[in-house]
Amino acid sequence: MLEISELQRDYITEILNISMGSAASVLSEMVSEEVALSVPEVDFLPRSIAAGKFDQSNVSKMSGVTQSISGAVYGDALLMFPEEKTLSIVRILLGETVPVESLTEMEQEAMCEIGNIILNAVVSSIADILKKEIMSSLPRFIHGTGNEVFSVESGNNDDLVMFLKVDFGLESQSINGYVTLILNVDSLQGFIAQLDEQINAI
Amino acid sequence: MLSDINNMEREVIAEHVPLSASLFGKVLDFSENGLFLVDSDRKIILWNEWMVQASSLGREEVIGTAFVDVFPNLKGRRIESVINAALDTRTASLLSRSLNKAIFPLYLSEVGGEKRHLEQSVTVKPIQSNGHDYCLIQITDVTPMVQREDVLRVLAKEAGEALQVAEEASRFKSEFTSTVSHELRTPLTSIRGSLGLIVSGVMGELRPEMARLVGIAYNNTERLLFLINDILDISKIESGKMDFVMEPVDLKTLLLQSVEANQAYGEQYEVKYVLNDVDDGVTVYADTDRLMQVLNNLLSNAAKFSSKGAEVEINVIPKDAVIRVEVKDYGNGIPEKFQSRIFEKFSQADGSDTRKIGGTGLGLSISKSIIEQMGGAIGFDTVAGKGATFYIDICLFNDA
Ligand SMILES: Nc1ncnc2c1ncn2[C@@H]1O[C@H](COP(=O)(O)OP(=O)(O)OP(=O)(O)O)[C@@H](O)[C@H]1O
Ligand SMILES: [Mg+2]
Repeated sequence: MLEISELQRDYITEILNISMGSAASVLSEMVSEEVALSVPEVDFLPRSIAAGKFDQSNVSKMSGVTQSISGAVYGDALLMFPEEKTLSIVRILLGETVPVESLTEMEQEAMCEIGNIILNAVVSSIADILKKEIMSSLPRFIHGTGNEVFSVESGNNDDLVMFLKVDFGLESQSINGYVTLILNVDSLQGFIAQLDEQINAI
Repeated sequence: MLSDINNMEREVIAEHVPLSASLFGKVLDFSENGLFLVDSDRKIILWNEWMVQASSLGREEVIGTAFVDVFPNLKGRRIESVINAALDTRTASLLSRSLNKAIFPLYLSEVGGEKRHLEQSVTVKPIQSNGHDYCLIQITDVTPMVQREDVLRVLAKEAGEALQVAEEASRFKSEFTSTVSHELRTPLTSIRGSLGLIVSGVMGELRPEMARLVGIAYNNTERLLFLINDILDISKIESGKMDFVMEPVDLKTLLLQSVEANQAYGEQYEVKYVLNDVDDGVTVYADTDRLMQVLNNLLSNAAKFSSKGAEVEINVIPKDAVIRVEVKDYGNGIPEKFQSRIFEKFSQADGSDTRKIGGTGLGLSISKSIIEQMGGAIGFDTVAGKGATFYIDICLFNDA
């Protein structure tokens, strides 16, 4: 497991929260409703443990959005919520209640856009830290169990995952979701090195 | 899907455009999506035929013109900022139709020349070629999808409402049934009481013809009361309101009582009940009255469907944690075709109006619900023409 210092953690959290703030204001403007986004927790975990985090918290089905990233780091970025939370987020934001239990195609597309805004904010924070360019693909809607969305079977279990808890504040409720960036070890080491350089420069 | 097309186009444009620009121009023009390309100066440098049709802006007006000059109303809007992001930080974005109503002023020409706003979903992707940055904007017409989902929403809402109406109707029906049954039972009970007094002769000797008529009235009143009690039971079962008082019950005592209670009924069919030896002290865990009701139905059925002069045997067989009570008759048995429906409401092998044997076909359905709710099981074995054996398995009382 990768150990990062308190200082490193604080630094990443701060940078992430700044870009989450601007993502939230983009969203708020789009839906003319107050949306708050924050990242209270950052961790680096092996992929298998990250997948387990969802199943352990007894949330069997997850759904969300994924983008693949390339450039200075490459891998996958995922934004995930327990399935029923995704439903509430979309329906609160669209202001429509549809009496069906899964997202319609149009609603999935809307969720893709929400995920796109949040993931782009996360990716651009990482790119800022690295001072390098990271490109990401268009968002795709996914759902399945924690293990399925992480594709633990096919992926490399040693991969480290940057694991962010995201608070999605909507109306009077706060919905917890997760952002994960699956990065290969090389990208991560470069990331940590850059991080230290910048912290030392402060 | 969309991203695949984009990847393909990216390669195509990057590597082959210089080779056969006109061919690829045609390919783009045949596209079912709107496509246009913006360069790093924010000028539009490609505008496909779909865009020409939907925007009514010809290439000559658009190519080489800055994006914000072509769409002055979009200045400062999200679409402009994601185009900037694609060119400055190579970020790809999606603008969904649900969160961005009417992104571009694009129209569908309908039959009759009328124009209707086009429902759009838009993707914005960075493209690099020969050291230059471009931004590809791709527009998909999602009008059919929007229409489909509008219909779906209406249907789902209607289905929800219909379900609610049906639930209310069914609640009304069962409340109605149980209220009416209760209201009928009270006067019927007093009619039966009065008729009973007359039939017994305590009110004075009746002329034979009168006695016959009053007897018919009395018997039919009795039948009606049984029917009403059964209907009340069914509606209790269906609304989950049948209560059980579970307690230890001495099986032998209960069986003796049940045989005694049915003796007279059996005699009508010239049938004799034989209770084979039961161990003393066998205690089951059940609701006494309800278990009695089940036994009465099995015993009356056995008599009704027996041949004249036959015996009906009652056997008690211990089985692990349960005790089995068997009621065995030597009647005609249960026709194969009818076996699967025997526990359904109102089901009788002989459904004809001219049926000779009384009853409504509710007894076994009620019995099954009662036994199952007490944690037991009910079943039967039968050989056509030789008889039927109905059994119930009841939980033993475990005072440990
Ligand atoms: N011992 C049996 N032998 C042959 N047929 C039987 C026997 N017991 C039940 N049946 C068949 O199953 C049908 C349903 O029995 P059930 O006890 O439910 O109704 P019922 O006796 O006709 O009327 P109810 O019990 O409501 O007065 C009977 O009408 C008869 O056709
Ligand atoms: Mg019966």
